[in-house]
Amino acid sequence: MDSDIILVIVVATALAFDFTNGFHDTANAVATSISTRALAPKTAVTMSAILNFVGAFISIEVAATVASGIVDADLIDTTVIFAGLIGAIVWNLVTWYFGLPSSSSHALIGGVVGASFASSGTDAILGQGLLEKVIIPALVAPVVAFLAAGVCILITYRMVGRLRPGPVNRGYRLGQIASASLLSLSHGTNDAQKTMGIITLALVAHGTLAGPSPAPPTWVIVSAATAIALGTYTGGWRIIRTMGSRIYKMDPAQGFAAQGGGAAVLLTASHLGFPLSTTHSITGAVLGAGAAKRLSAVRWGLAGNIAVAWALTIPAAAFVGALTYGVSRIFGDGALGPVLIAVSLLMLMVAMFGKRMRGGPAITAAAADA
Amino acid sequence: MTIATDTAALMELVWAAPLAALVVTISWGLVVWGSTRAADARRDGRAGLATLHLGVAAIGAALFAAAVVFGLIVMMSKD
Repeated sequence: MDSDIILVIVVATALAFDFTNGFHDTANAVATSISTRALAPKTAVTMSAILNFVGAFISIEVAATVASGIVDADLIDTTVIFAGLIGAIVWNLVTWYFGLPSSSSHALIGGVVGASFASSGTDAILGQGLLEKVIIPALVAPVVAFLAAGVCILITYRMVGRLRPGPVNRGYRLGQIASASLLSLSHGTNDAQKTMGIITLALVAHGTLAGPSPAPPTWVIVSAATAIALGTYTGGWRIIRTMGSRIYKMDPAQGFAAQGGGAAVLLTASHLGFPLSTTHSITGAVLGAGAAKRLSAVRWGLAGNIAVAWALTIPAAAFVGALTYGVSRIFGDGALGPVLIAVSLLMLMVAMFGKRMRGGPAITAAAADA
Repeated sequence: MTIATDTAALMELVWAAPLAALVVTISWGLVVWGSTRAADARRDGRAGLATLHLGVAAIGAALFAAAVVFGLIVMMSKD
């Protein structure tokens, strides 16, 4: 009975993480499009939500479950998964509150690493996997995207700099719709898959599914796709504002260079089997497209805050994951601990969203420019 | 997977990713450049030049479409 309750809580928590992943990462795909007025805010998030939903069905390969090769899979149980998810959700909410773009995948990895450490000690952590799959890509992604977008915007200005600005801006706004669509689709493919993997892992641990790498049931695919699409539609407006206009005021050509360059870097990396963080790549590209035009145009203080948030993502999510696991175990091996923690988190989320909703409409095109 | 394997992939990424970004940028740049110049030429009554510029824009559009299709294939063949 207790294991059934824990399974239900883990599934609900995984879907809650998927929702926060959607609204946290909306900015990656649509922030520059909104800022340059390529798309109206509501149109942008609606389009992104639909493409995230569709993307979730494109690839359902769950063998590459998040955190595999980073923690010892044999030591993971449903409570560790639950605690890891709580760590990731809490970090996503904190960074959203401060309007800082950070990687949801790194938050999830951090949460699971912390919970595994609390559960089994250092034996559970695979240091080399953490270095290869997380830390090196985290350093490479923003640098490569920064340089690529920087070169792209310089070439763009060289090509179209002397033409009439009206049609040029219209042209790049149109291009941004294509790049935003590609990014949204890619995000749905990547990130909804992680939730499907987590839920499938929990179903295997519970004994509901059998086999070493079973396919996720249809209800898992549909619910993960729906959760990420709803989260995207809700829109993480604080982060959209940071990415779209607070770092610097971008023109449509810069928006295209950031989005198109970032998407090209991400998909090339994916093709080479070197997965990079969408958030790190797009943020790096946004900075590169701004710095190449004029170094002083970029608010480097804000960029520094974002870098600090990135550096803190894994340790902070790990700390919350470990703490959650520890608190959960105080109440024994049963469902009481996870139930109490899940209810507390739900109340925190309702309070945060309630406060946000009472603050008035989320965003308008003018507010996005502010 | 070893560190050496990842280093090789990393090195390939460092030149291949910016190259892909350049292809996207230049192809869409050709679309914008060609269509804007074509509109200007048409307005000046130079139909031949307008057609030439439209041809450049079409080549850019074809390149850009190929890049998008490549991106979709990468997404669908992920494992």
